Amino acid sequence: MKISRFARSGHPSGQRRRRVPGLAAVFALGIATAGIAALAAAPAATASSAGSSGSTLRVEADTSYSTFNPFLAYFNGDLNIIGNIYPTLTTINQQGQPAPYLATKWSVSANKLTWTFTIRSGLKWSDGKPITAADAAWTFNLIMHNSVAATANGALVANFATVTAPNATTLVITTKQPEANMLYVSNPITGIPIVPEHIWAKQVAHLSTFKNQTMPVVGYGPWTLTGYVPNQYATLTANSSFFMGAPKFHTLIVQYFSDSDAAVAALKSGQLDEIDDLTATQFEALKGDKDIDLYPSVSNTWTAIELNPGARTQSGKKFGNGSSALLDPVVRQAIEMAINKQELVTKVWDGLAVAGSGYMPPAYPQWVWTPPASESLGYDPAKANQLLTKAGFKMGPGGVRIDPKTHKPLVLRLGIHSDEASDAEMAPYLQEWLKAIGIQVDVQSMSFNQLNTDLPEGDWDMLSDSWSTGPDPTYLLSIQTCGDLPTSLSQPGNTDSFFCNADFDKLFAQQSSEFNVAQRANTIGQMQQILYSNAVDVILYYPDNLSAVRPGAAKDFFYGKTNAQGFYPQQNLFINWSSATPVASDAPASSSSTLWIVIVIIAVVVLGGGGLIYWRRTTAGQRE
Amino acid sequence: MASPVTAQVAAETVRDLRAASAGRDFAVYLSRKLATAIVSFAALLVVGFILFSLIPSNPVAALTRGRPTTAKQLAFLTKQLGLNLPVWERFAHFVGNTVTGNLGYSWQFQEPVATLIAQRVWPTLLLVGSATIVSVVIGMWLGIRSGWRPGTLLDRVATGTSITFWSMPTFWLGIMLLVLFASGFGPIPAIFPAGGMSTPGAPGGLTPDHILDVLRHLVLPCLTLVLVTFGQYQMVMRSSVVDELGSPYLLTARAKGLRDAEVERRHAVPNALLPSVTVIFLQIGLVISGVVTVETVYSWPGLGYLAYQALQIPDLPLLEGTFLVFSASVIFFNLVADVLYRFLDPRVRRQ
Repeated sequence: MKISRFARSGHPSGQRRRRVPGLAAVFALGIATAGIAALAAAPAATASSAGSSGSTLRVEADTSYSTFNPFLAYFNGDLNIIGNIYPTLTTINQQGQPAPYLATKWSVSANKLTWTFTIRSGLKWSDGKPITAADAAWTFNLIMHNSVAATANGALVANFATVTAPNATTLVITTKQPEANMLYVSNPITGIPIVPEHIWAKQVAHLSTFKNQTMPVVGYGPWTLTGYVPNQYATLTANSSFFMGAPKFHTLIVQYFSDSDAAVAALKSGQLDEIDDLTATQFEALKGDKDIDLYPSVSNTWTAIELNPGARTQSGKKFGNGSSALLDPVVRQAIEMAINKQELVTKVWDGLAVAGSGYMPPAYPQWVWTPPASESLGYDPAKANQLLTKAGFKMGPGGVRIDPKTHKPLVLRLGIHSDEASDAEMAPYLQEWLKAIGIQVDVQSMSFNQLNTDLPEGDWDMLSDSWSTGPDPTYLLSIQTCGDLPTSLSQPGNTDSFFCNADFDKLFAQQSSEFNVAQRANTIGQMQQILYSNAVDVILYYPDNLSAVRPGAAKDFFYGKTNAQGFYPQQNLFINWSSATPVASDAPASSSSTLWIVIVIIAVVVLGGGGLIYWRRTTAGQRE
Repeated sequence: MASPVTAQVAAETVRDLRAASAGRDFAVYLSRKLATAIVSFAALLVVGFILFSLIPSNPVAALTRGRPTTAKQLAFLTKQLGLNLPVWERFAHFVGNTVTGNLGYSWQFQEPVATLIAQRVWPTLLLVGSATIVSVVIGMWLGIRSGWRPGTLLDRVATGTSITFWSMPTFWLGIMLLVLFASGFGPIPAIFPAGGMSTPGAPGGLTPDHILDVLRHLVLPCLTLVLVTFGQYQMVMRSSVVDELGSPYLLTARAKGLRDAEVERRHAVPNALLPSVTVIFLQIGLVISGVVTVETVYSWPGLGYLAYQALQIPDLPLLEGTFLVFSASVIFFNLVADVLYRFLDPRVRRQ
């Protein structure tokens, strides 16, 4: 019965039999694969826990990466990196206000059309060449005069007339109209990054295909981009000579996780040191974890229900199949008053949001507006019912009002994002509250793309909508102007919800030339008042940005003091990544995890070995 | 029944002729299968294009989402992406791009689709290859064991387990394994990484450390795929073995005095293997396209994850490119199964 190991291969075998040893080989290979994979657990696990306690900061990327070309990048994941490796004229300080960066000081002419910036001298690009005003002028001019270079940031220089650099430390920008938001045009992450002319002049000819992925990338900022593994992570190295102070960590790894639960798992296991954009559910689940500190910060985002006020082109041509009832502002106001926003904050966001009213989110307090009590459209279903009855919407059968114009029941469609858990949670509440005022809501869950297609075609009644803004409110306000309505059906404009109001447009023009912040804020407040009373965007709430850090890996990541609700001020990645400080490591790899790894290895060896022995036993007869 | 011609030639020549005719038969068989494959592929091109053209989309809005943009910028982008072209012209571009093999230009990555696919195909092959090997081995082995003695405890446990895992949604199982083994759950510490293909910052290259690191990242996505696919192999193998159980040739084998294990191994299993081979090859094609959810859960930088990224915009050239690879792999493995079957089963040869 005992036969040498290799006997089988020497055994004369028929065609049929040959397949059996083949299968055995596959079997062995499979076991080997599984075995090696499990064995692999050991060395890398210790490596990762040692790494996170060194001076490497590991954070989650906001989106996956597509390009590091600052002229083309649209996605936050790319922009966060670009904002940290290229300089800008100004930056945004911890108070959310513009502050010096490349520009040390600036002045504006009496006619408000000429800006003169003094550029910091003595700074050098990472390849040793000096940074001058000419680099800035070259960058702006390229965006102004080259359509490809304008891909990402063209809107920011649309009002620029000329940009010149009379000498190495002076930059002169003239604008066509006064531009109150000049100090927001070139900010880290949200604004225009300035690139080294001597590097980029060579790339202009093929700018549309240039991805800027030759490492290290020549730039200037708190970090230098030194490594990139496509679709996994970017590696940044601290610039020890950064004039605002070198980052405290030596290396920064920004890794993308396509699944947010995977990112949470990575944080819990120490694979990541910090993550943002947690859902309220994930945030609550992390509350008991002693290895994790939680940071809710006030939001730069609002979530709203848009009410279709009648889709039309700039020339007034109507289109789309929106409900005619919503053309009446009273109906829209009644809808706003029927919604209990505080209840949504409590039920949908576990209190980790602020109930909404004004159009500007709370992240930048200088622009915040809240309605005076006399104008409030706060939760009042009784009054909402009265308003509707007065407007001629009589109660019909089944508790649904009848539209006096169409004589049909008042049924409105509500489009929600199928990929947003909070939308799905919110919809039944809205349905119930609107039923209480005699409006039947037909909830339609659709993909972001479907929503995006329906929106410009005007084929909707109510849509869930969400916008976020940087420190400069101009763009968020502009999407409510008449000028952003579509010019024709084939040319959808940027309009958010087909809102168009002459007074609003007048104030929009006015604020864009108000250089005094308080004055401008006052005008923007009036604009928000108009939006609020028209109830086209019913702002439901401002959800907090929910972040989490491993205090064992980094401290001082977040800045500022919490407010009465326990929320931190709006955070700025440009500051966070530099201010984060390594914490001396405590225990290395925990013994329990090593124990488990050993158990897994033993299990695989036993199972695999057992399988092989069993196999040989059952084939013993054959080998005889 | 021999014709007058064959009656005249010698026996040797008859054998030669038979071999030649078998070769010819195979050539005919192969070319017929190839033609079918090519026709299916062409049909797929059309269907794929029509399907993706029907997806509600506003790629310009999705790409610029939330960024300040002027009407001029949007118009430029629309033109640059070719969205202003009539449908027939876009179809012509699409077919041209497919035939020349460059597959067009991705809107979000600003890179040729072929380059992106070439970059991502290896991680997917690694994942699908290892998962297929492991699940085939486990599935076949369990199938043989449970089929040979149906109704035993092993059979009931194995069949129950297979069906349970087979019916689980892949992404859900992926998330469960992730919670269990990658984040630490109760007494179970985080054993495996939660995502990616290697530890960030660790040096790459063909060093043992890097290989082990990649394998460690491979465990959970591979395990997820194995658990949801091995059941099919187990079920098919089991039922084929059960089918053979009453066959007279097994009785003959036993009558010759062969041990039970030998009867199983030398007589029953080889005959029962045929349906499984078909299933395995058909399945490989499907597994390649089925990795979309697994790769997305584990941020595994392969083709499935690329397809997911394409769908979010939707980045049509990229979506069409990945769709093409997925469907081509199904067609290809169908073809392989057809051809292989001819060699494995003499009855197919005779037909």
